[in-house]
Amino acid sequence: MATARRRRARPRPRRRPVAAVRRVTRRIRRLALPPAPPFERRQMTVEMVERLFWRAGFGPSQGDRDRWTGRTLGETVDALLATPQGPLAGPAPARNDRPASPGLDPKADDADLVLTWLDRMIRVPNPLPERLAFFWHRHWATSRADVSPVQLMIRQNELFRRHADLGANPGADFRTLAHEVGEDPAMLRFLTGEANVKGRPNENYARELMELFCLGPLDPAGTPNYTEDDVRELARAMSGWRVDTANPDDPKSYFTASRWDGGVKTVLGQAGAFGLRDATDVVLSHPAHPGVLLRKLWSELVTGPPDDATLQDLVATYTATGRRIAPVLRKILTHPQLFDSLGEPSMIKPPIVYVAGAMRGMGVGVTDRVPYDRLNEMGQQPYFPPNVSGWEYGLAWLTTNTAIARWRFASYLVNRADVAPQDVPGETPDAAVDRAHAACGRPWLSAQSRVQILDYATRARVDTAGRRRARQLLLRAMIIAGPDGQVM
Amino acid sequence: MDDPRDVPPVHAAEVQALRCADCARAESTDPTAVPVDRMPIPADALAGFPDGVPRARGMDRRAFLRNGILGVASIYAATRIDWTRAFEAAVAEAADPANQLVMIYLNGGLDGINVFVPNDPAEYAAYQAARPDLHRALNTPSVAGGRVGSTAAANANVSFANLVVSGTGNNGDTKGLDTLWGDGTGGAGSDLAYWPGVHFLPANQSHFEATDHIFTGSLRKVTTGWLGRWLDAYGSTSNPLQAVSIGNALSKQIRTASAPTCAVASLGNFGFSVSGVSSADADVNAEVGRLVGAPAGTEALARSRGVYGLTVNVAGQLRAVAAPGANPDYPASSLSDRLKTAATILAAGLGTRVVTIDWGSFDTHGGQAGGMDPQLPILSRALAAFRNDLAARGIEQRVITVVFTEFGRRVAENGSDGTDHGAGGPCIIIGSRVRGGMAGAHPSLTSLDRGNLRVTTDFRTIWGAIVGD
Repeated sequence: MATARRRRARPRPRRRPVAAVRRVTRRIRRLALPPAPPFERRQMTVEMVERLFWRAGFGPSQGDRDRWTGRTLGETVDALLATPQGPLAGPAPARNDRPASPGLDPKADDADLVLTWLDRMIRVPNPLPERLAFFWHRHWATSRADVSPVQLMIRQNELFRRHADLGANPGADFRTLAHEVGEDPAMLRFLTGEANVKGRPNENYARELMELFCLGPLDPAGTPNYTEDDVRELARAMSGWRVDTANPDDPKSYFTASRWDGGVKTVLGQAGAFGLRDATDVVLSHPAHPGVLLRKLWSELVTGPPDDATLQDLVATYTATGRRIAPVLRKILTHPQLFDSLGEPSMIKPPIVYVAGAMRGMGVGVTDRVPYDRLNEMGQQPYFPPNVSGWEYGLAWLTTNTAIARWRFASYLVNRADVAPQDVPGETPDAAVDRAHAACGRPWLSAQSRVQILDYATRARVDTAGRRRARQLLLRAMIIAGPDGQVM
Repeated sequence: MDDPRDVPPVHAAEVQALRCADCARAESTDPTAVPVDRMPIPADALAGFPDGVPRARGMDRRAFLRNGILGVASIYAATRIDWTRAFEAAVAEAADPANQLVMIYLNGGLDGINVFVPNDPAEYAAYQAARPDLHRALNTPSVAGGRVGSTAAANANVSFANLVVSGTGNNGDTKGLDTLWGDGTGGAGSDLAYWPGVHFLPANQSHFEATDHIFTGSLRKVTTGWLGRWLDAYGSTSNPLQAVSIGNALSKQIRTASAPTCAVASLGNFGFSVSGVSSADADVNAEVGRLVGAPAGTEALARSRGVYGLTVNVAGQLRAVAAPGANPDYPASSLSDRLKTAATILAAGLGTRVVTIDWGSFDTHGGQAGGMDPQLPILSRALAAFRNDLAARGIEQRVITVVFTEFGRRVAENGSDGTDHGAGGPCIIIGSRVRGGMAGAHPSLTSLDRGNLRVTTDFRTIWGAIVGD
């Protein structure tokens, strides 16, 4: 009997080898056996759902975790790409700090303008379009600080959303986007294209179109992608456009032939009597363009640069599909590198993702202007990029000062009346930590941090309702706004 | 190396720049001629400055000293010591923690020649012709025919736009850049040095490339700042307040590989706290401090925990520093708020060596008069008030303030009453240890390089001299 039992027990280690062995085995199988199923057929673990929804959205809801765990990566990404944005869910945003007119009025107040977008990010069922729209805002950075009337910014935002809602607009392509942005009233105003007139060229937009929006100044070998002469010639081609805001609610751009320099220009070695769209096409035909754009899109979503083969594949897809966005985005979102180091997040949350994600996690909407002020302190006010190159992403998000701002935002969130913690006398420290974690939507919390937080929960005095409340507030703040809460 | 003049000229960029300062028509301004990169650490800076060029050109010591070597110039002005001792003193000063540096970056590319107007007759004529709408009137009271006038700077070939000059019809205050300038000879009370054609060579007209070069001190894509590398080599390994950006973001200039630095937007409530949690409930900073120690596998998490640790450290140090009170000397402006915070931190005995401030919006492609001009009285008044503030705190002697921008603007105005990106831009350095006056030759407006001022000083010349100080 005893022997038999031992025998029966023995096979178990073979079924569950240690992780390292499992990895090696898997690697060998991948190398040696007939083609392994593509990564996108992988069934998603909850960690993969976490990762995907933070990178392609603003963090998963519990519903997202429940729905997508166990489904394949490919079908999840396809759902994100193919589902139109859909109507917003939940109660409308409000400015309860302004009781006389609690409705948001983006045309009257820049805080409301920003909060209206934040509200969309929080309440939208499919978050990918909103996230991609923000990417286009970051890419074609235009600031409300230099653009009036505000309707121009609202119109530009709709333009970006139209190109980002891939469910509704699956054929969205960068060339059309570049044409529309070139003629976009907000951009014409921001980069002074409306002042670009035959005989009096204004180089502003032409320079940034090549430097920031399409090419970059240098190729990977350090050779300039264009010359100062190209900037001057391109500016001539882009002349002639103006902005009509006679009806501010319906701003328009229009072309005046007499203001256009119709002569022959030589841009990037091509000569012709180019106009704005022709010249944009010349710039897009530069061999540096696909790689530059796709690297940027990649690094919005994935930690570390793409390897050469991946980049070549993305460039080939982009080129073969007529510069469409959905096919390359699908490749990026299903790439194994996006799911590297699943046990420990590897990217700093941009402030807008942090704020929208924390509010989604807590299940609260916009009820006052505080998120607007805190976003500013964190260094990312939507509609107000610091300059035309947008925000600098990556590790630079976190400084001593922005860490305080992120913390202050959490202090505000946990104190909101709509999420006031119940008093639970006799609650164990462990239960208090679990309750706080759940109230925040279960953001990632390392095992070490949980130990420390639990240690605080154990030390804290909880002999009064006030002290129990203080403990719950601080636990929540540490979970949302501690160092672990800043990564995704 | 007893006599620094014997040190061979190893840094072509500096030598070229000095040659240009000597002779504005030198051909060496060809932007492709000097793609020399180097790290501006003290040894380099000191090894690079004293070459034989000035002598060969018949320039006397005084003139050479004016040409951009702040470290030595300031010592010379202060003590009139000889060359050898000046060199030794510069080396000694590099180790003296009492020196403090304030770097003020003006965003967007300030149009230097509409602040410091070249006033030699031929130069002014060229300036006026290139800017039929935007030029300043020459040496007239503030508004003549609806046009901003200018006031000749003593002992210099420029006139200050009246918007930066003291006086009720000018910047509206009793002090301005003119009062810092004094007689422009570099003696007592002449504490503002002006470089008229500064750029990082080769001259790049992209905001982002140019600022990257300036902030990192390198043409290569490096992740640390020019001051950051200095801090890594010579700074504290434990005190984040050794280098402070006043604002939400940490300046690229003080990004380091290992030395801690910090960003502080304002004083008074810096630190972690939660409303509803009293100090009797918990020491919130200490609790956050317990979350930062675990090892991290990803760079992002390591950064996050590291920054939170620094923040707890800074909060502990700043707890005793009160926010600055009202000071009517300053104009109402975010620049003033940042300078007041800077003065408070510099005087607080926190081991602060470097403060950085970004301010303004000077990318004036269109409507330059409406965009740039209102900022000039604020800038000039705030800088002068800052100087007084430092003096009142008894620390003016040890602080040097550098005001710079990524490039100047195209000499000819564009069709939108603005100016496009140009090359050589303005840089000023303020402090009683600074030898005031024209610090570099003015590039000629009658000999432009593709419509732009020729560069007469490379940023690295100035940066090198600063870290030598």
